[in-house]
Amino acid sequence: MNAIILSAIFGIVMMLSSAFVKNTKAYKSIALVGLILLLLANICETYSHAWLNIPTFDMLEFSRFGLYFNTLAIACTILFSAFSQREIERVGRYIGEYFALIFFVLCGIFILSSYNNLLMLFIGIEIMSIPLYILTGARKENLKSNEASLKYFLMGSFSTGILLMGIALVYGGTGDFALVHHGQDISTSIAGAMNKRMSFLDVAGMILILTGMCFKVSAAPFHFWAPDIYDGSPSVFTSFMATIVKAGAFIAFIRLFAIREEETTILENAIIGVDWKMLFSIIIVATLLFGNITAIFQQSVKRMLAYSSIAQAGFMLFSLLSLNDTAKEGLLLYVVAYSVATIGLFGILAKMKDYTLAGYNGMAKSHPTLAFANAIFLLSLSGIPLTIGFFAKYYMLMAVIQTGGYMWVAIVGVIFAVISVFYYFRVIWSMYFKEGTVELKYPVTKGFKILAVVMALIIILLGAFPQVILNFLYF
Amino acid sequence: MGITAIVFWILSALTLFSAIMVLVSKNPVHSVLWLVATFFSISGHYIMLNAQFLAIVNVIVYAGAIMVLFLFVIMLMNLNTKTEMKKNLWMKLGGVISGGMLLWILISVVRTYAEQSKGHPKIASVNTGEIGLIKNLGHVLFTQYALPFELCSVLFLSAMVGAVVIGKKN
Repeated sequence: MNAIILSAIFGIVMMLSSAFVKNTKAYKSIALVGLILLLLANICETYSHAWLNIPTFDMLEFSRFGLYFNTLAIACTILFSAFSQREIERVGRYIGEYFALIFFVLCGIFILSSYNNLLMLFIGIEIMSIPLYILTGARKENLKSNEASLKYFLMGSFSTGILLMGIALVYGGTGDFALVHHGQDISTSIAGAMNKRMSFLDVAGMILILTGMCFKVSAAPFHFWAPDIYDGSPSVFTSFMATIVKAGAFIAFIRLFAIREEETTILENAIIGVDWKMLFSIIIVATLLFGNITAIFQQSVKRMLAYSSIAQAGFMLFSLLSLNDTAKEGLLLYVVAYSVATIGLFGILAKMKDYTLAGYNGMAKSHPTLAFANAIFLLSLSGIPLTIGFFAKYYMLMAVIQTGGYMWVAIVGVIFAVISVFYYFRVIWSMYFKEGTVELKYPVTKGFKILAVVMALIIILLGAFPQVILNFLYF
Repeated sequence: MGITAIVFWILSALTLFSAIMVLVSKNPVHSVLWLVATFFSISGHYIMLNAQFLAIVNVIVYAGAIMVLFLFVIMLMNLNTKTEMKKNLWMKLGGVISGGMLLWILISVVRTYAEQSKGHPKIASVNTGEIGLIKNLGHVLFTQYALPFELCSVLFLSAMVGAVVIGKKN
């Protein structure tokens, strides 16, 4: 609750400071202070120091997993805004508002990490998406940005409509919005008595919810919006959308299905013929196929990263297939690995003049530090050992193998991981082994370089000791 | 057939007919007007479900405010039938197949459900069926649903900030 309230308050603070603080340089400092306070508040709550005790009527349930995910999301946002602060200032004139919208997105993510009610799921998804439609169109004079924003808005509205229809059907089937019932005997409630009889409505609703959520995490076959929108929006906000926001949607996704599985309805669903695990395997294979194969043919690195983010979503979906403890741990690792690497890549990309593969030619000669950091980020994304990306993929595959019976999905995953190495290494190849001059659009400061190297070191260190992240989940 | 059933069937037929007319009409203004008719007939359904407040709000907000906005936008954009987009035949076919499959699933779900719930005629009304009355709704909204109610303010605030960012001149 600390984080939800504080992030909303800081959104308002940023909004007001853009009206009353005239110095445009001050906004990023205010935002950074706000994010650090948010991190502290959330850590306080993780160790049972909630500041306010608000009766939530079971609308929210704060678990260790959700709170720890919040911590990771805030930490990634701090990295993001420290690394790309100059780029945010260059997007347009409303810097304070951009930060305010980022805080509102975080508020939505915190709701999604701890909702216990489908109503809260809907509100969280909306709070998370609506600021993003604006951020996508932040570069108002750019036609591509406008188009991306409108497209995102229309498609996002349709997918939210489908999600809402699903929620309505689930309500019709169970007579309840809640995921878990506390202090109430289920058998006496309508939901318990009618459960078996009404599970058809329930299943139809869950399939529609699945469709809506798949859209939000850009899983195939609902991924068509992603490349255009990631390509069209300003690079800074693409990196925010593709990392932290996508992770937030995944947390909502896994929370919904993990709780549903515990509440046994999924087993009952299996009796009437819906095999969720098979459904997820099909989605995973389709996502990996579309994401990886199209990424190979991209010439623009920004577009390649957009497709690779679809492919990485396919790997994250492994956690939804298996839904065990390893999957949850793996998802957290994946969030860190993928977010840090992608934020770094986009941060450097935003400084470049030429987004194509040829633009990276000879980067190792002219900017050795940036090329080194880029190489580490790419290695981590492709899952090479000694980087955190390797352990993230390893945990995901292990989770699938533990469920049993879905070995073939794991094998398909490994094959596509190998394919993904190809297009990630093409960038490394042109940085190190091709001649050319890299033209930067904006000067690179010393602090930027240091931060890039620090992020690369984080990836390597966590790759050596992945338990560091997971230990905090339990202690 | 009692009076409720007759009213229900008339309203349902009206809803479906005007919804289809929304899609079929070539003139966008006619589409919007048919949409208003759809909202009114859905409001009739709400009244039959003992949800007067929802019915009134539906009329005021959707049929009133949003539809007027729609009409303004359409008249400002001056849409003609000539500017209609050309649609690919395969696209249409794909749309018909996927939409038809969804329709099939939904109909079969409702039918199975109706078959299984014979002898439980009051299944649509959760609890006592009086939740739609304005007194009960207000009570629930400010106790059990107070948190989502308050969090909606964050949603609206972010939408307002966004509107200012998009709308203001550079």
